[in-house]
Amino acid sequence: MPAPIDYSKLRIVPDFDTAEWWAATKEHKYLVRRCPDCGHKWFPPIFPACARCGSLKTGWFETAGKGVIYSYVVVVQPIVGAFVGTAPYVVAIIELDDCREADGAVTRVAGVMLNDEPEIAIGLPCEVVYEETADPRIVMPRWRVCGAAPNAWRFAE
Amino acid sequence: MGSLTDKYCIVGVGETPHMRPSNRTTLSMACEAVSKAVADAGLRLSDIDGMTSYQIGDSTTSPHVATALGMRLNYAVDILGGGSSGEALVAHAIGLIEAGYCKTMVIFRAMNGRSGRRMGGQTPGGPIPVAVAEGDAQFNMGWGWTTPAQRFGMSAMRYLRDTGCTTRAFAEIAVAHRYHASLNPKAIHRSPITIEDHQRSRWIVKPFRLLDCCQETDVSVAIVVTSRERAFDLRHPPVFIMGGYARTLTDSPQWNYSREEIHYVAGNYGWKRAFGMAGISHKDVDFISCYDAFTFTTLIQLEANGFCGKGEAGEFVKGGRLQIDHELPSNLSGGHLSEGYTHGVQMVIENVRQLRHRADDACPGWAEGRHTYDRKAGCRQLRKADICCGMGWGWENMASCLILRGIAA
Ligand SMILES: [Zn+2]
Repeated sequence: MPAPIDYSKLRIVPDFDTAEWWAATKEHKYLVRRCPDCGHKWFPPIFPACARCGSLKTGWFETAGKGVIYSYVVVVQPIVGAFVGTAPYVVAIIELDDCREADGAVTRVAGVMLNDEPEIAIGLPCEVVYEETADPRIVMPRWRVCGAAPNAWRFAE
Repeated sequence: MGSLTDKYCIVGVGETPHMRPSNRTTLSMACEAVSKAVADAGLRLSDIDGMTSYQIGDSTTSPHVATALGMRLNYAVDILGGGSSGEALVAHAIGLIEAGYCKTMVIFRAMNGRSGRRMGGQTPGGPIPVAVAEGDAQFNMGWGWTTPAQRFGMSAMRYLRDTGCTTRAFAEIAVAHRYHASLNPKAIHRSPITIEDHQRSRWIVKPFRLLDCCQETDVSVAIVVTSRERAFDLRHPPVFIMGGYARTLTDSPQWNYSREEIHYVAGNYGWKRAFGMAGISHKDVDFISCYDAFTFTTLIQLEANGFCGKGEAGEFVKGGRLQIDHELPSNLSGGHLSEGYTHGVQMVIENVRQLRHRADDACPGWAEGRHTYDRKAGCRQLRKADICCGMGWGWENMASCLILRGIAA
């Protein structure tokens, strides 16, 4: 497991579009945006409109916080001070299990894995874990591998 | 472009040396680059009546440069934009001149890309001491996932998985562009490297190593665009603009991670229009330039722009194909990887020099177009340089292209 993130060096500033999302993570809920008109889901919530139907109404969908690793990077040379002691760490894009739509659309999210690189592979199932930060208003979702997959692919170089 | 094909030309190019640090303002560097490009065209500053530039809040503006140089312009607009903006501003110039808003335009980019605002967001002293994640950054900085290398790495990693390509393909690009830089007295890094050197270089963010990443530099670059009628009277043989596309845009995998395939980049949507306008096929292209913020950005654009099939770029670049005197020479100045980083315009400049047959290399007669073609003696001029395809990259979602030809084509 990578060393802790130094959250004292990171200040998250929720805004009009994202405040409810951060409030939900405090309650250990993982939200994605959901269009009340057509049902399309998306992430991150910075986008204030539905890219499928153009609706400006925005709702939320509470996911189970489970998915599959779609891609990842291993940050060896960190740039954000809060992560200097954490490196090497894995940031992954995760395709959520419960957001598949009839037309084939999927919703992917991203976050920092709790696993070290050798445990990471594209295709592996993972789940969200909530981490307290130095800021009482902010709980940070992180992700950890929670199973195996027959066709997982690992960057082996 | 159709009927506008070959109606507009690039007639002047100029740049400041790649420095780190420059110890100069962007205004000072821009004035030098603009003056050099105008002089290179054989024009006076008073002949220029349009100016435009692009920046990301890190540069001086056209009105400032015009004031400094005593130029009275009929059009001056600066846009926000990064890579792929230079090629797009050439399209602006064509439209503006065609519509009569101005007659001859200079396009510049000026940036202290190493000593000032760095693309990765690092402070000059190193990592960001206390990071404020607001707006979009809530959903990347909060995850320690900020720099272009870290962001593009996601597409690259998935690409490796989907295609079976390995980073030896990245190495081919690093080696080719470095070899070209070895023939360019202006380049920051001129010592040739091997595929093994690339493979042994340290990790920055997997799947990218140090030698996958470009050279941040302080520099200004400028080009002059005018109509064919004016171009024929000027100092150099004109370089004709055959076709292109300008900041073709698709949804960004940086923000919409849910795109069907995150390595299906914007160029895929543009190249048929560009080649259609130009009336040529890929086989007619003698050389290319391809935005190399990272080796991968060159690799992925080759297939996005139809030079090979989807997923085939790794195979395509094998065996030095992108090197001078091989099938498809790429980034003949050394590009961002080895010459220095200009947010794209230096590639247009090099392409113009190659098409004029006046690459500024070690050949004593280069300014008159006399080259030895002896690579060991430092000549980097292509023997046949008639048509070039330049490919610009913003992020995965944004791309531009400029197909140019010299007087011989
Ligand atoms: Zn909708």
